[in-house]
Amino acid sequence: MENQTFYYDNKIVKNFAYATLFWGVIGMVVGLLLALQFIWPALTFGIPYTTFGRIRPIHTNAVIFAFVGNGMFTGIYYSLQRLCKARMFNDLLSKINFWGWQLIIVFAALSFAGGMTTGKEYAELEWPIDLLVAVIWLVFGANMIGTIIKRRTQHIYVAIWFYIATFVTITVLHVVNSLAIPVNLFKSYPIYAGVQDALVQWWYGHNAVAFFLTTPFLGLMYYYLPKAANRPIYSYRLSIVHFWALIFLYIWAGPHHLLYSALPGWAQSLGVVFSVMLIAPSWGGMVNGLLTLRGAWDRVREDPVLKFMVVAVTAYGMSTFEGPMMSTKTVNAISHFTDWTVGHAHIGALGWNGFLTFAVLYYLIPRMFQTQLYSRKIANLHFWIGTLGIIFYAVPLYWGAITQASMWKEFTADGFLKYPNFLETVTQLKPMYAARAIGGGLYIVGIVLGIYNLILTIRAGKFVPEEAASAPALVRAEGKRGSGEGMHRWLERRPVQFMLVALVAILIGGLIEIVPLYLVKTNIPTIASVKPYTPLELQGRDIYVREGCYTCHSQQVRPFRSETERYGEYAKAGEYVYDHPFQWGSKRNGPDLSREGVVSGRQYKPNSWHYNHMLNPQRLNEQSIMPVYKWLITDDLDISTTAKKIRVMQFLGVPYPQGYDKIANDDLMIQARGIADDLKSQGIQVEPTKEIIAMIAYLQRLGKDVHAAGMPTAAVTTK
Amino acid sequence: MLRDVFKSIGGFESFGLISMIIFVVFFALLILHTFSLKRKDVEDFSRMPLDDFSKESDEIQDI
Repeated sequence: MENQTFYYDNKIVKNFAYATLFWGVIGMVVGLLLALQFIWPALTFGIPYTTFGRIRPIHTNAVIFAFVGNGMFTGIYYSLQRLCKARMFNDLLSKINFWGWQLIIVFAALSFAGGMTTGKEYAELEWPIDLLVAVIWLVFGANMIGTIIKRRTQHIYVAIWFYIATFVTITVLHVVNSLAIPVNLFKSYPIYAGVQDALVQWWYGHNAVAFFLTTPFLGLMYYYLPKAANRPIYSYRLSIVHFWALIFLYIWAGPHHLLYSALPGWAQSLGVVFSVMLIAPSWGGMVNGLLTLRGAWDRVREDPVLKFMVVAVTAYGMSTFEGPMMSTKTVNAISHFTDWTVGHAHIGALGWNGFLTFAVLYYLIPRMFQTQLYSRKIANLHFWIGTLGIIFYAVPLYWGAITQASMWKEFTADGFLKYPNFLETVTQLKPMYAARAIGGGLYIVGIVLGIYNLILTIRAGKFVPEEAASAPALVRAEGKRGSGEGMHRWLERRPVQFMLVALVAILIGGLIEIVPLYLVKTNIPTIASVKPYTPLELQGRDIYVREGCYTCHSQQVRPFRSETERYGEYAKAGEYVYDHPFQWGSKRNGPDLSREGVVSGRQYKPNSWHYNHMLNPQRLNEQSIMPVYKWLITDDLDISTTAKKIRVMQFLGVPYPQGYDKIANDDLMIQARGIADDLKSQGIQVEPTKEIIAMIAYLQRLGKDVHAAGMPTAAVTTK
Repeated sequence: MLRDVFKSIGGFESFGLISMIIFVVFFALLILHTFSLKRKDVEDFSRMPLDDFSKESDEIQDI
């Protein structure tokens, strides 16, 4: 058989590797700044661009899509070529993938700092950047599928199955969750509202974890772990079961982010059941990874690559046990809205993704540069400092989470909340936040050591941009199944058909959960007293979204006595029908705001309080960790967008009267003058055209409609 | 039509049951498939990462 010589493209791998290191440092330093802002809120510097709500999406997106994303591309571009025994399909597509991805990251950072956000966690990019993401992602997919098609091996190795599933599912998730109607270049409203938006968002959010942070990294594990250990994978049969079960089950689990919310109970139950079932395939992967090291554990002591891999796979096992546990309603009642979720996410991000990424880099950089790693000692130091960093990061947050949840739920013997002031439950956590910052700092020190080690390795070596390899040409089998060839064996050599079957597997769960919520109206009972936002409230809501208030405040009261006592009426599906996007949030560094405007409620504050709070929260309470928002007081509200916003809302089904867009600003000014006059009566001089007026209008609207409906304040559980 | 299908399957509790049945059938077929694989094929597949020997990179052994 003819032996063909060809060249692996190492240059693209090197570019992605450098980008991984660069964005890793940026993303984590921003994370450290956020951690420090919990202790010293003045570190927001009193300017909009560095305030918590704006830079938190920079941190999460930089770590997920820039650090882990580039790490994923590094690992895939290296392993795919070698598993297919072929150069990448097209060098130009590789370059477009690389430069396009970096451009997206820069646009993302600038737009978030500038307050351009959709307000949906991990999907905050506005529509023009979303379109760019879709294009670049398809370029990556075309390049990958093209490479698989021109491969020189008959069988498609299981690692590549995970890469294919990643491509297919992220495409579906990104497109479906990003559907929005633009107001202008920098602002859009999602086509979904309230409960429907929440379900689609967390179907996306959970599966972004599954198919961006998990499946590609399982693929990397299936290539790099056998390579580093010089052992075949423990059980190929297990890898097949593990792969299909994982991609089928994962897609159902999204609703576990919405337990005790206004989401219909049947959808919550599906989310719980499938989340618990997920332990099996997840641990199948972990067991397969760890057992691959059988007979090679002595090398783990010596080899930093294997050390990083073992902790990565163990962290994967831990977080995939913890995740299903947090998805059960009993645990979720405690963990949700606390920093437990943040700790859980960081076990995955720092342990699984971060350590596996560094294992891959420590493996392939010396090989591409034809040299040994500069220092094994420094790599070991990186490993131990990083491991300590993870522990110091997560343990205080678990401790803090249980402390805070307990304080939220504690009643006195007389039946009153023991800690009615939310701030008491926050100040208690400051030592834990400090320990968390130390943990994050240690992890960054480890990364800096790693980068130093890799730079010296690179300097000592000589880069091989075109790596020669040879393999016999693939004799193409007929498209039809051969005699005795099972369906799956046939599928394992047909990338396009494989992709389509994977697509069906991931669509089943999504369709069964999402479609009924749209087709069956009884899922979202309407409430007659719930009306669309006034133009001023709508503008205020957009400022709320712009400033990322949802990153600290929820708008969803759970049906627990401890919450209805603290906040008021629990959340109903019908009260969010005009919320494009929903703003339920996922953690409470500050109190829930969904009943903020109920005058007789426990959370109500007058307009002047809101004004002073935005101007200087620490002046009202020096323990507060809320950032200042003094630019809301000086910046003019942009009312040139009001008419267009009303028209887009009308298009989305919000029942503003016909032609209302033309007179909306008149109503806006009437309401604004009312608030400005009220502030004036309290001795505060502010023009009605300032942003703070719109923000106050929005906050004072929250919860009013449900209260007007006269619903009983009865909790359905006693937790 | 789809709306009628979803409305007529007798309450949303059925969704959980239907979903479980779909998964159990899917999982059973998967198990059958993996046991039908020939031992030699499985061993060959699992060795694939180790077969991509490249003189230039794999000479750099343990770091």
